[in-house]
Amino acid sequence: MKRFPYFVVLVVSLVPAALRADDLDELQEQTIKAAVRKIAPCVVQIETQGGTELVSAGPRLPGAPPGIRLGAGPTTGLIVHADGYVISSAFNFANKPQSILVAVPGHKERYVAEIIANDQTRMLTLLRLIGVHGKLPLPVAVPKSEIRIGQTALAVGRTLAGPDRPMPSVSVGIISALNRIWGKAIQTDAKVSPTNYGGPLIDLYGRVLGVLVPASPRAEGETAGFEWYDSGIGFAIPLEDINRVLPKMLKGAAKEVVTLKRGLLGITLQQKQGQDEYSTPVIIATVSPASAAEKRGLKPGDIIKQIDGKPINNQAQLRQVLGPKYEGETIALTIQRGKEEIKATVQLEGAVASYPQPFLGILPMRDDPEPGVEVRYVYPNSPADKAGIRAGDRIMKIGHEVPPAPLRLQPIAGRDQMMDLLDAAVPGLELAFEVKRGENQKTETLKIKLVEMPDVVPSKTQLPEKSSVKKALTKPKGVGPQPPGAPNKEAKKENDKKAETGFLKRTTAAADHTYWIYVPENYDPNIAHAVLVWLHPPGKNKEKDFDNFWQSWQFPCEDYHIILVCPKAESERGSWTQSEAEFVQEAVRAVSDSYTVDRRRIIAHGMDQGGEMAFALGFRSRGLFRGVATTGAALASNPRDKVANQPLSFFLIVGDKDPLRDVVKETKTKLIERKYPVIYREIKDLGRQYIDGRLGIDTLEELARWIDSLDRL
Amino acid sequence: MNTRQSLALAALCLLTAVALTPTKAEESFAHTCDHVNPKLVKLFGAGGFRGLQSYGTGILVSPDGYILTVNSHILNTQDLRVHMADGTHYPAKVVAIEPELDVALLKIGDNKLKVEDLPYFDVVEAAKRPPVEPGTGVLAFSNQFQIATRDEPMSVQHGVIAAYSKLYGRIGIFEATYKGDVYVVDAITNNPGAAGGALTTRKGELLGLIGKELRNELTNTWINYAIPINARITVTQADGKEATVSILDIVEKKEQYKPLTPNKKNEGPGVYTGIILVADPVERTPPYIEDVVPGSPADKAKLRPDDLIVYIDGVLVGDIHTFHEVLSRYHPNQTVKLEIQRDRKLQTVTLTLEKPKPKKPAAKK
Repeated sequence: MKRFPYFVVLVVSLVPAALRADDLDELQEQTIKAAVRKIAPCVVQIETQGGTELVSAGPRLPGAPPGIRLGAGPTTGLIVHADGYVISSAFNFANKPQSILVAVPGHKERYVAEIIANDQTRMLTLLRLIGVHGKLPLPVAVPKSEIRIGQTALAVGRTLAGPDRPMPSVSVGIISALNRIWGKAIQTDAKVSPTNYGGPLIDLYGRVLGVLVPASPRAEGETAGFEWYDSGIGFAIPLEDINRVLPKMLKGAAKEVVTLKRGLLGITLQQKQGQDEYSTPVIIATVSPASAAEKRGLKPGDIIKQIDGKPINNQAQLRQVLGPKYEGETIALTIQRGKEEIKATVQLEGAVASYPQPFLGILPMRDDPEPGVEVRYVYPNSPADKAGIRAGDRIMKIGHEVPPAPLRLQPIAGRDQMMDLLDAAVPGLELAFEVKRGENQKTETLKIKLVEMPDVVPSKTQLPEKSSVKKALTKPKGVGPQPPGAPNKEAKKENDKKAETGFLKRTTAAADHTYWIYVPENYDPNIAHAVLVWLHPPGKNKEKDFDNFWQSWQFPCEDYHIILVCPKAESERGSWTQSEAEFVQEAVRAVSDSYTVDRRRIIAHGMDQGGEMAFALGFRSRGLFRGVATTGAALASNPRDKVANQPLSFFLIVGDKDPLRDVVKETKTKLIERKYPVIYREIKDLGRQYIDGRLGIDTLEELARWIDSLDRL
Repeated sequence: MNTRQSLALAALCLLTAVALTPTKAEESFAHTCDHVNPKLVKLFGAGGFRGLQSYGTGILVSPDGYILTVNSHILNTQDLRVHMADGTHYPAKVVAIEPELDVALLKIGDNKLKVEDLPYFDVVEAAKRPPVEPGTGVLAFSNQFQIATRDEPMSVQHGVIAAYSKLYGRIGIFEATYKGDVYVVDAITNNPGAAGGALTTRKGELLGLIGKELRNELTNTWINYAIPINARITVTQADGKEATVSILDIVEKKEQYKPLTPNKKNEGPGVYTGIILVADPVERTPPYIEDVVPGSPADKAKLRPDDLIVYIDGVLVGDIHTFHEVLSRYHPNQTVKLEIQRDRKLQTVTLTLEKPKPKKPAAKK
């Protein structure tokens, strides 16, 4: 008897210990299953019909189909309103399906659904299910303040397990980080992929932390971040944030889709070479006309010091604070202007009003040190043509009459100054031009109304040889300071008359990148040359590929004075990565330093994924590139807004049988919506067999003429 | 021993028990691994060129050396070798291949080289267990990337079942031959050489064979899956008769197992619906009805122009191509349930199919 309690104690203490080993796993498993079961009735399956086959995406491997081939399978959505509203990832509708069908767990019939709202900032889509009777179950949102890094998170989807299955699919992970993607998303290491995009990320109580989306801090668009699927880096938009804007989204209808846009200030920032956004102070470079910033009187040179009381020390902080903001939201700004500190409340706007490029209808003579601008070519039927301006005339002065003040004409020093003047104008504006013409050099003043820049390239009869008066190295005799962007005129170049020509291999200063250049044999430092940067398609990064490339361009380069720059993508598969943008810019700068280069005619030309790189470069380095020409490539995301004084033109080429044709066409539409001048050319009976970057002779010739005419006015 | 002493001892016991808990939890996996590893074998065979690996994994399913694995190119050799968990190695021969299930049965040892008393998975027992639910904790054992050789243990991964997914009902989902239910695993298990490995519960009970590397056409992403050990599918044979194939059947029949010769084309003689679809200029044109032939099955079912056909017997027909592909499997006089979208609602109609009309090609435009 004495030993009895001792024995009991042993049993009592050891048995639970032995059980607890498995209990722990068992308990976790049961908790996970219970949480998934709890959310299951709110997770719907979405099927679509029709739509495009391919959706353009960012960098990819060579040999892979162009663009993302979206799976044809079902996707996932989360019920957010009891009357039949479902939120999902915009990724699931990126292919623009004609018909959407939604299966709700426990409901026998599927519902036809329609898109009624899109949140462009967070890449979400709201669907309305048609004909839902009764109320649908609603999920419980976890308050953002309760979400902790390290807590368990389950990613739930319906792609693999339809509503006929009691359990949706589940991936187990934890919350990895908060406030990602410029403050918009929470990050998880649960496996996030098309299997569960649009589905909920839940906690162990079955409450919703967020809605799963592909996302990338470096790109925007429905498919950005797809390449990270199943990688342990996944994102979800907090349901609390979605619920906050839900009333706005619910106001949408199929015919009047509500679009929630990013709130924009309408400014660009000064970029400093060699500094990234974490070290660059926030100094305003340009203020777009009629933007939120302009309405509140912000000016170039202003430094943003605080937003909503939070100190802003660099450009990354500015993005972090502005990133989550919607159109119409108000921010409190503190600005430093000189020694003055200004406080202003600004209501952010959804779009920066874009004005189309104004057009007079002439090509200016280049490399001309004489005052004024000689007309090299007049576009037929352009305002200049109608006003009687002819090639050989010289425009001496420009003025804008604002009654009752008398007309004041301003003398023009040269082409660059005239370009800047016109760029600040808008179509429809009437300007006065003082023109010197004829043998007796009679002066005449013409009033000409500017129009929108049309999508025409000068005809073949255009005179390449007379395009320049070959005095690029002579100091201009005109009045006033030369604006930035004028050709480099270091004495060095004059001495170095025998600059190296032909096909040349170069390496960057740090010797970590290689590029080739082709300088035409008729190179003359007294002629400002255009620069064409060739961004090769994936895998075409061998010396022989570049050799082929320059040979196809040899004659246009000689005729139109173009220097080729062929940077090499260093990745194993020969495809471009975003980080190589720096190196490409460095290569262009190096060429501009050793040759006479026309800064107004530097263009990025790419094919396939190289074309996507060309878009990225064009939008990113506005100060450098004036044109983007692509072959068989579409924009992966929405185009960035136009920037004042940094015009950008596009030339899109695609085969009419290319599966990407529709997407490229859509790219054209998107660019035109943003008021960019766009030339779009379809090559007949061509799929994706663009050989080594060589285009048909007609297209190539037209592209060369386009480059030659990029300083059109 | 007095009361105080026994209390002190009790406290000590309790303390030990509490301290033991985390160690024990880890040991539960360790115990499973000790127990499971000897039942797995490393396979070496054909491959080693053009990116095809020459190694794989298999599981022992009998004490006398029968090995179950996934059917793959590595079996395509006279020189198939098996490394056991203890480092011994044997030549192996292929006993049976079942292409519909994508599995193969191998054998090591013969009259000259006897093998016996090997540890093995009891497939009969395993096939009786019902499928486990999503969220269930699992372990995956395989020789992925050929990390293990000779007596080195397999790579073990842990995760949960992401889904138990019925994929065969759809069109063009898998490039793979196997179209039955699979366990989708929430871990990156399907790597080179992993095919044929074991998916088990936390306690080491066999759930399935890890499959090949495969892209899931539903999502166009790589999928991690295992073929359930209780896999059983119905196959239409060349003579039109249906038969069932299962892993259990292969393991039980061994040398006597005869794979079926299924009707690969799975095509019927063609059917007539009287539906005239819109032109099909792009790859994903949805099957909108352009017109309906008077007096045809479609007319009788009151189908109308502008109806959009969405499902045929519950199968989503995303585009015109799929519509024709699905219908080609039917026979005349069969009835088929169409779900159509009309006035933004889904409606169900039933159609009795007819023989193709002699002159006009059926249901095509």
